[in-house]
Amino acid sequence: MNAAATTKPPANSPPRATGVVESFAYDNRIVRAFAIATVIWGVVGMSAGLLAAIQLFFPEANLNLQFVTFGRLRPLHTNAVIFAFIGNAMFMGIYYSLQRLCKARMFSDLLSKINFWGWNAIIVSAAITLPLGFTSSKEYAELEWPIDIAITLIWVVFTVNLLGTIIKRREKHIYVAIWFYIATALTVAVLHIVNSLEVPVTFWKSYSVYAGVQDALVQWWYGHNAVAFFLTTPFLGMMYYFLPKAADRPVFSYRLSIIHFWALIFVYIWAGPHHLLFTALPDWAQSLGMVFSLMLIAPSWGGMLNGLLTLRGAWDKVRQDPMLKFMVVAVTAYGMATLEGPMLAIKSVNSLSHYTDWTIAHVHTGALGWNGFITFSMLYYLIPRLYQTKLWSVKLANYHFWIALLGMMFYVVPMYASGITQGLMWKQFTADGFLQYPNFLETVLQIVPMYRLRAIGGSLYILGTLLMAFNLWRTARAGVFLPEQAAQAASWRTQEAHTAPGPWGHRVLEGKPMLLAVLALVAILIGGVVELVPMFLIKENVPTIASVKPYTALEVLGRDIYIREGCVGCHSQMIRPFRSETERYGEYSKAGEFVYDHPFLWGSKRTGPDLHRIGGKYPDAWHYNHMDDPRSMSSGSIMPRYPWLLTQTLETNSLPARISALRKVGVPYPAGYEDKALAELQAQAAKVVTNLKVGAIKAEPDKDIIALIAYLQRLGTDIKANPAAPTTPATPVKTAQAGAAAPAAAN
Amino acid sequence: MITNVLSAIGGVGVFGVISICLFFVVFTGALLWALGLPAGFLRTMGDLPLADEGTPATINGDSHHE
Repeated sequence: MNAAATTKPPANSPPRATGVVESFAYDNRIVRAFAIATVIWGVVGMSAGLLAAIQLFFPEANLNLQFVTFGRLRPLHTNAVIFAFIGNAMFMGIYYSLQRLCKARMFSDLLSKINFWGWNAIIVSAAITLPLGFTSSKEYAELEWPIDIAITLIWVVFTVNLLGTIIKRREKHIYVAIWFYIATALTVAVLHIVNSLEVPVTFWKSYSVYAGVQDALVQWWYGHNAVAFFLTTPFLGMMYYFLPKAADRPVFSYRLSIIHFWALIFVYIWAGPHHLLFTALPDWAQSLGMVFSLMLIAPSWGGMLNGLLTLRGAWDKVRQDPMLKFMVVAVTAYGMATLEGPMLAIKSVNSLSHYTDWTIAHVHTGALGWNGFITFSMLYYLIPRLYQTKLWSVKLANYHFWIALLGMMFYVVPMYASGITQGLMWKQFTADGFLQYPNFLETVLQIVPMYRLRAIGGSLYILGTLLMAFNLWRTARAGVFLPEQAAQAASWRTQEAHTAPGPWGHRVLEGKPMLLAVLALVAILIGGVVELVPMFLIKENVPTIASVKPYTALEVLGRDIYIREGCVGCHSQMIRPFRSETERYGEYSKAGEFVYDHPFLWGSKRTGPDLHRIGGKYPDAWHYNHMDDPRSMSSGSIMPRYPWLLTQTLETNSLPARISALRKVGVPYPAGYEDKALAELQAQAAKVVTNLKVGAIKAEPDKDIIALIAYLQRLGTDIKANPAAPTTPATPVKTAQAGAAAPAAAN
Repeated sequence: MITNVLSAIGGVGVFGVISICLFFVVFTGALLWALGLPAGFLRTMGDLPLADEGTPATINGDSHHE
């Protein structure tokens, strides 16, 4: 914390500032640190995305390295872009604008430093652990439990620093941007903690405390609101700060900004279930998600129009100032994405779009257009100011703008074409009532050209980012960094009178920022509680399917390999109740089938086919050869090879700990099962090896592939078993054994 | 599938009604409150970002490079 010198008010101070004027300095070092991290992680995250995109039409681009194969690379890309690039940009914008809006230095320089180094250490640990296959598999929450705890601690540091600064502010009024920052800090904390509840197995392995439907609802309550409160609300706050600054005029309607804030945070939190339409999630929750998603159009477009109309009478500046160009496209992309999102949440649209590249196009309109462009805009605004100079090259910034815009178009347009094409092909029947394209691969090969175009778009976007990095570096070299920006202001607490004290409601909120924080928290909790409480009721009320049994020891390890390799990134395990899906995959998925799935693995994208009924569909040897080289079994397949699964030894030391952890989260393994789990595992592995011999494959029983095959052969087979059959045991002990028998029979 | 899950939850229908009521009350309250704010106060608030610091003259205008 920094002491501020006090002086008498200068002669030219504002009329209402009749108190003692204090001299202090804004901390620019922390802003610069986050700015540098933003640029570096931006290039890293986008490059990871480009490599993943290339692998979708050229699988060999993984160089047969498990660490950079698509399933592990995709979460690395999403985490790097969301939490590293956009996360650092968020802190950069908040740390700059908050100090100035509060007329106060950050609450604590130490907390600022801990925030920066802690956050970036978390990112480095993510960059190491995700390629190693340490993942929870829950989208945008893949990091394992020790990192989850670190995130919580660092987020608390950020929140304390944020609220502390607001409490010690000199400016009486709390500008709307700060409201958005408060909502961000509190809501992300709630989302992260609730979704990350898990029972540790080892230092890098845990199981979600939720299972199946419950896990899916919590995950997408988190996932959707991570988009809302990590990628949207802080950047809306920054829009309300940086856009008026750059345009040199106040926001079009401050009244609208207030309505925007309260409506947005209240409505957003309800919309998560639209990620689970037509799944085994209860219909009422799906409908609630759809309705609130549609209602989101109003506040979102209110905010977008408020931003764009701020430029009324100043559009000439947009022509000249690249910072404003980026901002205008960012706000426009926000408008497009927030119109498209509710459209995709309409059930009939979603039945076509879900699991396709349409969703990929949608999220990249937001990520590339909204978050990316507003971040570039802030960087072009901030770096010259931090270095007290002009931007090195406006022309280069303009090149960046057009290249990035072109890159974004080349990215999203092919993905729209790809998504709609494939969605329609999945649903197409012949006149005789058969699937027109029964082979999933046919629908993939149709869209491979779009994947090539997408990679070109991504390359252009990265090229633009590199141009920006060069431009900003030259700008910094040309200027002199200003680490401490001197400022003077009188504290509102010492002022004798206020000419504009504000109306009653505002006075109460601004006098008590913690009350504002609590109200914002209540607003977001209402939606969460109303949605999540029934989830726990479901746990008590869903009629369990008697034939659904816990996974065997070998299948547990196989499932964990499935999670490690990121198979869920390309394969769903959720057959929706459409004829086009039941014809292709089999019986639709039921909620009761997932009661032992910690975590759920429903997925959100089908780059490959759904796997929920894959069990028993092919012989073990097919899976063995397919994992070794997918193209040997399916010519033209874009699935990567997994040769390491054939040679890597199955890790069984942690098996007792895994069984024990699963029991803790509710899987009914009997006491002492850990002691005989290994023997049971070896017996089932021997059966798989025997089955492979039929296919002329000589395999060792202690390899990863054996466990994975056992898991795949179990998938979706439980409901085919007859619960009344004499072989079905009544006790949990025998239950697990019966589970072991099932895949063997299928084999 | 979906009906099976739903039908087992007693009184679940009321959740939707509660949701809509809560939303309506909060949203309407915020709307009325915002609409009732005096214009002068809103102007003051809107001007806050513009008053937070002086913009150094050197950063406006053309770049070094061109």
